[in-house]
Amino acid sequence: MTDQEKDPVVHSSLSKALFIWSAVLVLSMVWGLWDEMYGIRPWKAYQARFEKLYSRYIHDLRTPEAKHEQQIKASPEYKELDAAMRTAEEAARPDAMKIKAQVDDLVPKIQALNEPFQEVRSHIGALTYQIEVTRSESSKESLRKQIEELKAETHKVKLPGPSEQMMTFPQMDQQLQDWKKEKAKLLQQNVEVMAKATALRKQRDEYLSDRIADASTTTLDSVDASLANFDVRIRQIHIKDVDLVDRCESCHLGTREPVVLTAAAMGGNEVFASHPNKELLKIHDPENFGCTPCHGGNGAALSSVEKAHGYNKYWLWPMHHKENIDAGCQQCHSKEIVTEMADTLNAGREIFRLRGCTGCHRYEGFDREADEIASVNQQIHQYDQQKAEWKREIGFTEEKADNPKISNAEAQKLYAHANDLRVRSSGLDAKIEQLDMRAVSLVREVKKVGPSLKEVRMKLRKEWIPEWLKDPHKWREGTKMPTFRLDDDERKAIAAFIWQSGLQGQLPQQKPGDPEKGKEAFETRGCMACHSMGEGGEKEGGTFAANLSREGEKANYDYIVRWVHNPRQRTAPYCAYEKRDLTEDDYKKHGQPYVFDLDHDKCPNDGHVLQVQQMTPMPNLRLTEDEARDISSYLMTRKHDGVTYEDAGYMDDPALKNKGLDKVRFYGCAGCHEISGLEEEQRIGTELTKEGSKPIERLDFALLGHKAEDEGWLTHKGFFEHKLENPAVYDQGKEKAKQDRLKMPNFNFSKPEIDAVTTLLEGSVDATVPPRYFYSPADQRQDIIDGWWVVRKYNCMGCHKVHVGQTTTFDALTRYQDPDWRDQKPPTLIGEGARVNPEWLMRFLNNPSLSDTDTNRDGVRQYLKVRMPTFSFSEGEIRKIVRFFAALSAQAEPFIPEKLEPITEQERTMARQLFSSEGAPCLKCHMTGDAAHDARATAPNFTVAKERLQPGWVKRWILDPALISPGTAMPSGLFVRQGDHWAFSGPTPPSFNGYTKDHADLLVRYMFSFTPEELGRLRASAGK
Amino acid sequence: MDFHQLWTIVSTPDNVPIVLMLFVVPFYTWYGLRQSFANDRLIAQLEADPVMAKTHHRKTQPYRPGWAREVHVWPYLLRIEFLAAIILTVILMVWSITLNAPLEEPSNPTLTMNPSKAPWYFLGLQEMLVYFDPWMAGVVMPSLIIVGLMVIPYIDTNPLGNGYYTFKQRKFSILTFIFGFIVLWVSMIVIGTLIRGPGWMWFWPGTTWDHNRLIFEVNRDLPDIFGITGRVAKIIFGAIVVGLYLVAAAIGIHKLITKTPFNRKIYARMSVLQYVVMQTFLVIMLALPVKIMARLLFRIKYVWVTPWFNI
Repeated sequence: MTDQEKDPVVHSSLSKALFIWSAVLVLSMVWGLWDEMYGIRPWKAYQARFEKLYSRYIHDLRTPEAKHEQQIKASPEYKELDAAMRTAEEAARPDAMKIKAQVDDLVPKIQALNEPFQEVRSHIGALTYQIEVTRSESSKESLRKQIEELKAETHKVKLPGPSEQMMTFPQMDQQLQDWKKEKAKLLQQNVEVMAKATALRKQRDEYLSDRIADASTTTLDSVDASLANFDVRIRQIHIKDVDLVDRCESCHLGTREPVVLTAAAMGGNEVFASHPNKELLKIHDPENFGCTPCHGGNGAALSSVEKAHGYNKYWLWPMHHKENIDAGCQQCHSKEIVTEMADTLNAGREIFRLRGCTGCHRYEGFDREADEIASVNQQIHQYDQQKAEWKREIGFTEEKADNPKISNAEAQKLYAHANDLRVRSSGLDAKIEQLDMRAVSLVREVKKVGPSLKEVRMKLRKEWIPEWLKDPHKWREGTKMPTFRLDDDERKAIAAFIWQSGLQGQLPQQKPGDPEKGKEAFETRGCMACHSMGEGGEKEGGTFAANLSREGEKANYDYIVRWVHNPRQRTAPYCAYEKRDLTEDDYKKHGQPYVFDLDHDKCPNDGHVLQVQQMTPMPNLRLTEDEARDISSYLMTRKHDGVTYEDAGYMDDPALKNKGLDKVRFYGCAGCHEISGLEEEQRIGTELTKEGSKPIERLDFALLGHKAEDEGWLTHKGFFEHKLENPAVYDQGKEKAKQDRLKMPNFNFSKPEIDAVTTLLEGSVDATVPPRYFYSPADQRQDIIDGWWVVRKYNCMGCHKVHVGQTTTFDALTRYQDPDWRDQKPPTLIGEGARVNPEWLMRFLNNPSLSDTDTNRDGVRQYLKVRMPTFSFSEGEIRKIVRFFAALSAQAEPFIPEKLEPITEQERTMARQLFSSEGAPCLKCHMTGDAAHDARATAPNFTVAKERLQPGWVKRWILDPALISPGTAMPSGLFVRQGDHWAFSGPTPPSFNGYTKDHADLLVRYMFSFTPEELGRLRASAGK
Repeated sequence: MDFHQLWTIVSTPDNVPIVLMLFVVPFYTWYGLRQSFANDRLIAQLEADPVMAKTHHRKTQPYRPGWAREVHVWPYLLRIEFLAAIILTVILMVWSITLNAPLEEPSNPTLTMNPSKAPWYFLGLQEMLVYFDPWMAGVVMPSLIIVGLMVIPYIDTNPLGNGYYTFKQRKFSILTFIFGFIVLWVSMIVIGTLIRGPGWMWFWPGTTWDHNRLIFEVNRDLPDIFGITGRVAKIIFGAIVVGLYLVAAAIGIHKLITKTPFNRKIYARMSVLQYVVMQTFLVIMLALPVKIMARLLFRIKYVWVTPWFNI
């Protein structure tokens, strides 16, 4: 038969196909296995690489480290310590050996006896259990008998040595107890014998570890040991109650290594680098916090870098990028304005607050005053209701008690109840009183981001307004006011409305001042802590408030004089109850003079608290009128030459006013500005408190969705960044009517600013961790949180160093680089809580001149040109600031002054002599009250010390001022340690001979008993 | 042409079976039909030559004297099936290694995904929701499909075609199946998977699935087109139209069935009950494409509007 004739079904062979496909099957299985072992477990490769690189690095590290260590070990000090340790060890050795021999003899005995003992005991235990669960009394009895028999039985015990003993259970028990006691005694003896040697060994090891900066050989040894046992396995942190599993360390193996690993050290592998901020890690121990709650990403994923970092499409919490790394802080630290070690986030919050984002967008926590007003009013309402309810109940109760049918005892009980309610009700009165006071405070605390537009007619040049609205950033670089996308009609209408809604007020005519003097005052009085001057590269000063380089073009001189003299002065008080500005007529109607200030802040019509101040954080510098005129004159010279403004006659057109009102409402101008008739406007923007966890589908990328997806920014971060860079970006290509277009104006943010705000928004999420992780401390740290809000609100940090590492505006000003001016900087406030008496601080904050009559001065440092201004803080704010500083220095509250040993007359004389001696020229720098001297002084008067300072701090200060305030003019090293006390380091007056008490203490006590008369005597003895 | 979009759709692990189906279903339909036609030719040959039919092996190849008339299952069938099993295992293996489960984000009750699609095997049903009232598309139709499949053995009176491929002897059954399965079921799945985008709008393959897309589409009920407003009038009108369809479809189908002599023979064998049941299912099956056409071509939403159901 030929092949063709064969039946293909029967005769064709499938072997080849079967073989090939079987082979393919095997291969695919091998592939599957490989994929299972390595393909979907890339971390295994990471771990292998880590082990190799780390071992190599440790090896490289060891050589120089060991050499250094050898050097230390070769030093005589070390050798001495080592020898002492060895001698002590040698001395203790015979005793120790004896003890060891005894213990060695005991241990096998205990072990040998333990075994049969345990056996019997467990048998007894089982029988006892049977007794407990058996019901019938007779079986219980029989079981008890069994136990007794068991106890009486003798057991064969084979102890070390030839002997074999027969023992009953109680005998074994007794014997075991005795031996164990003996062993414990011996071990204790051993510790005592070795005590000296152990202490010396510790001393020697500390000597070594104190002198090696990096990892010591001991650390390296332990690392080596762990590397020797290195096993490839998933390394995970599991936090049960949060249901959190973070396996990040399966690849990021160096994160918590004791040796600091950098990418460079690990052959450029950034993945193996140590966590860059060990301090942060100490506060947030990964064992309790994990990794992903802060960083984002998918902690459980290990199959690819993309998935683990949460950058795949469906993971809702992608890892924060480097520039937004602080976003992770926000979810738990959402109540703060300043979070330590989160600079980007802090910058973002500051922009959010300062640039007026809150004007349109609600963000929980940023409306502290408004929220508090609401809650205070709510509480008052509740208490009032409660009071009314109790009053009713009192009535009913007494009525019932008066009923003759009721027994005496019952009636008495009812009367008592009514009385209780009266007492409780009076308690409510106290609470309501406090809340009322708080409500008054709060009216003072509410500030606006932008200036009041009620006073435009007095303040501004008319033609300037429409020009400004065109593009504020073009007119004034870096201004807070954003650029709205207005067409000409809108701009004109808005300008017309603003102009026509302005208050008509009369300003006194001011005579011109001296611009030269004004410039000097502007630059030295402290204006520049907040304001900047100069444009482009010449700009100098703070960014907290406006740049004033073109002030002369826009402002009205008479108004600026009033403003500089007292920025809080208002043209008319505003009554929030009647929702209008009051006029003189309102006061006349009630026969009251038209006076409104912080002491006269009640509405004549209805008694509600009025807004009697401008809602600006700008403080009063307590300048004289002349000085205010000088500064204003200087400001009026600041302008561009030859700038012309278009005629703005249309601004008086009443027809435009209504149209302008619509536009002002539409763009939410009243969010930042006080505008007549729009004081109670609501915000126009979306709430941003949880913006970071809004589903991505709800963020309207409009026509850019596909582009964003292609370019990889279809994320929250991408949305925020593009929106902040160009708020109109999502209108691109959209066919929309003007009023439907996006309203958000352009803030001209720089890249770092965008990153900062993005960080804040990205962190504004529904927390993934339970609330107990939130940072809401119940102790003094809460005072720090609250205090920062006030400190930031008034820009205290423009002048003062409030925390370590911070710079002030003055540090950057050219004038203050000069050594003569360095001491003219405002004082640092680091450690202020420990330095000053809080009661004094309260007084000072309330009135920094510390005088009711002589207000044109600083209360403490009268030699400073720069002025601590009067902020008109509310009581609540003063409390917050004082508690803030107290908390920063961990001061106990309430404050109880330290009692000092009274100073004797003799000591007073000694101290006076020392004060005025050549060696301690205290009076050279410190103010004495002598005008000629004080003009050159650079330190405060001693007469204020007693009330102002805390003795403990003063002593620390005079011992080494440079520790507290580096660079201070106050010299260090005035005292040296002599035995148990500090002695003055210079030549002491003869009266000090034989004085054995602490010299620094003496001076402190002297200062705290200082009086103006003593100052006179001191001056006299110094011959000044 | 948005190839990126196209690739996104066809490469989604969930859609891979449907892309495969696009090729596999036509291939096997063709392959089966080819065998059927070859068998039909053989049947014709053997019927013409009764002598040969007694000895001829039942294979489509021309007669060879040495070839067995029948072969054993083992090893001749099983070895082929074994090879097929191996190949299939390899395919499944590679598939499971390379494509992961298409997991998405945790579900959010306040947020519906768009487009939100059923598992691929249900997409045909979901697509039907476009054309019918949910009660019809979601409950009545699926039930009828299941019952209809169960009924087949009881109404199929044609004894031929067991154990071998044939077209000629089962023309009616095969065409009905092709119509019901490939046209109505598979193509609906394909439309639901590949063509329905955001908002369940129609996106031709290769166009971008744009979430902002807006289309103007007004569907009206048939009575409204005819200006009938009363509720009762609408019900009566709808019933008449549906009735007319039923009659027309039944007549049409009857004509189709009795067209060939072979089918007439089958028809003669059927009882009245069998015939009525078959007609019912066929008429309803035919209603599906009719309704789709009415919707797509004439923008008709419902024909028969009643307070209880809509058709």
